[in-house]
Amino acid sequence: MLPRQGLPTVRVRLSDRGAVEARIASYHGVSFPEVLAAVDYLRDPGDSVIAGGSLTLGLGNRLSDLDIVISGPASAESSRVPLQHWLKSLRVDVWKLRADAMDELVGRAEAVLGGEGPVAGAFGDMFEEADLKLLHRVAFGLPIEGPGIQPAASRSYRAIAGDLLVREYAERMREAAFVAQLALAAADPLGAALSARLAALSSLHATIYAHGLPFTGDKWLGERVTTDAPELAERHALYSVLPEPDADVAAFVRSAVRASEHLSGLELSLAALAAQGRFDAGDLELYPAGTARFLVSVDRDGLWEVTDAEAAAWNGRSGRGGWACDPGRAAGLKLSYDLYAAGIASLRWERGLPVAELAFAREDIA
Amino acid sequence: MKASGSGAGRLAWCQSQALWLNLALVARLEDLEGAVEARQSGLVRYSAMAIGEDCALILALTERHEKPLPVRSMRAGWALARIRDHALWPECWRLIRSFELSQTNEEIAAACRRLVASTRAIVGQVPDGLTHDGYFPMLALTREWYKLLDALGQKGFFPDEWTRDRSPKGTA
Repeated sequence: MLPRQGLPTVRVRLSDRGAVEARIASYHGVSFPEVLAAVDYLRDPGDSVIAGGSLTLGLGNRLSDLDIVISGPASAESSRVPLQHWLKSLRVDVWKLRADAMDELVGRAEAVLGGEGPVAGAFGDMFEEADLKLLHRVAFGLPIEGPGIQPAASRSYRAIAGDLLVREYAERMREAAFVAQLALAAADPLGAALSARLAALSSLHATIYAHGLPFTGDKWLGERVTTDAPELAERHALYSVLPEPDADVAAFVRSAVRASEHLSGLELSLAALAAQGRFDAGDLELYPAGTARFLVSVDRDGLWEVTDAEAAAWNGRSGRGGWACDPGRAAGLKLSYDLYAAGIASLRWERGLPVAELAFAREDIA
Repeated sequence: MKASGSGAGRLAWCQSQALWLNLALVARLEDLEGAVEARQSGLVRYSAMAIGEDCALILALTERHEKPLPVRSMRAGWALARIRDHALWPECWRLIRSFELSQTNEEIAAACRRLVASTRAIVGQVPDGLTHDGYFPMLALTREWYKLLDALGQKGFFPDEWTRDRSPKGTA
């Protein structure tokens, strides 16, 4: 286990209310009182109005929307989707939250962080990240009416939100590093390069969040490292662009995995990771039909014809109801990868990656 | 009329997934245009990568009707493999691969606009849900597709966070 070393080295730069309001006024000619008037119908007595998102975090641009969270002690209902409003050219997306919503969300985050299980997208679909965004909009949000929302928590709300991000992105990095090496073994260089890029960029995400920077989603990573983590900017540039198909993809994968290992402090070799994960293909079964062989899933209404070699690899799995890859068996590696890449099998990890075991906060990045 | 027989559910599911991605392209384009104007090169490149992936997925779903989709991290590769012989493969790959720093933001944006226009020339235009004029037509279109998917027993295309009964409790 690696000890967490030192304190975050990056000061969190949040815009103040005046700066955000001036920016919105310059883009759209809209003031905060006008925003408050437009969303007033959603407020219950005592509700706070919190502005969040890229515009409040020193990022964003003229076409960015303004994200608003409304909640308070009397809020009895939550909106299921963001409620859109337009003020001149400014789009305002509003999330109305029930009074106990944030308490529940933070409680769940603390429980996950205290446990051994993987986060595994428990706080939002991998790319939608609805709960992660919500956590951070409130943690790093800018109160524009009423006090900030203070969920019940055993420690700093920002620290909980930050640790959850570190763990989430560390787990994404681990899975992507594993799949990249699996794809190489399965002779899919394009898949290998895509996963290797994801591993490297996920390790950069985990690193900036380990240093206390707020979450702004995947799309702002380039601007974020340029502005706040220049030590990572070169690595970001190095892994953002995929090699051409006829280039040395294996070298790109090795380099991305090494960079991820360096930042995380974890061993991410195929052999090390193969022992930690298991594939699961649900109700998939092999059916011979004359000279043909089919993998069939009734649940997914799917049928896939396989070769004799693939059928043999399927029968050679190390267990039913979930199997681990043996790095020494090429046919098994290839079949596992092909099923995963086609969406037929999923990948489950035996345990998560507790923040205390990760080294992302080790080095200065600014 | 094109009969789809026992594959009706799969056909509708694939078409609806492609529609949702097509509708969501307006947000990608908004990110792109805002980033070009503000000279935010990182966001320009991220948006281009996402547009390339979404267009590849739209084309793969529309032309191959394959289900299921893999996890999000695998979809770019899944889509590129299924449109390998398509005329738009090189443009999709170019955007998904991303761009060296020597490429200008304007050149990247132009490539994105071309690919979106070419993709929509094949799969059709959709309302812009980010504008006053397009918001309600977009809602009406998704409502009609949800009725169709319900009739065929197929899962809808909205993010799970918008439709699930719990988690986060506050936004369900």
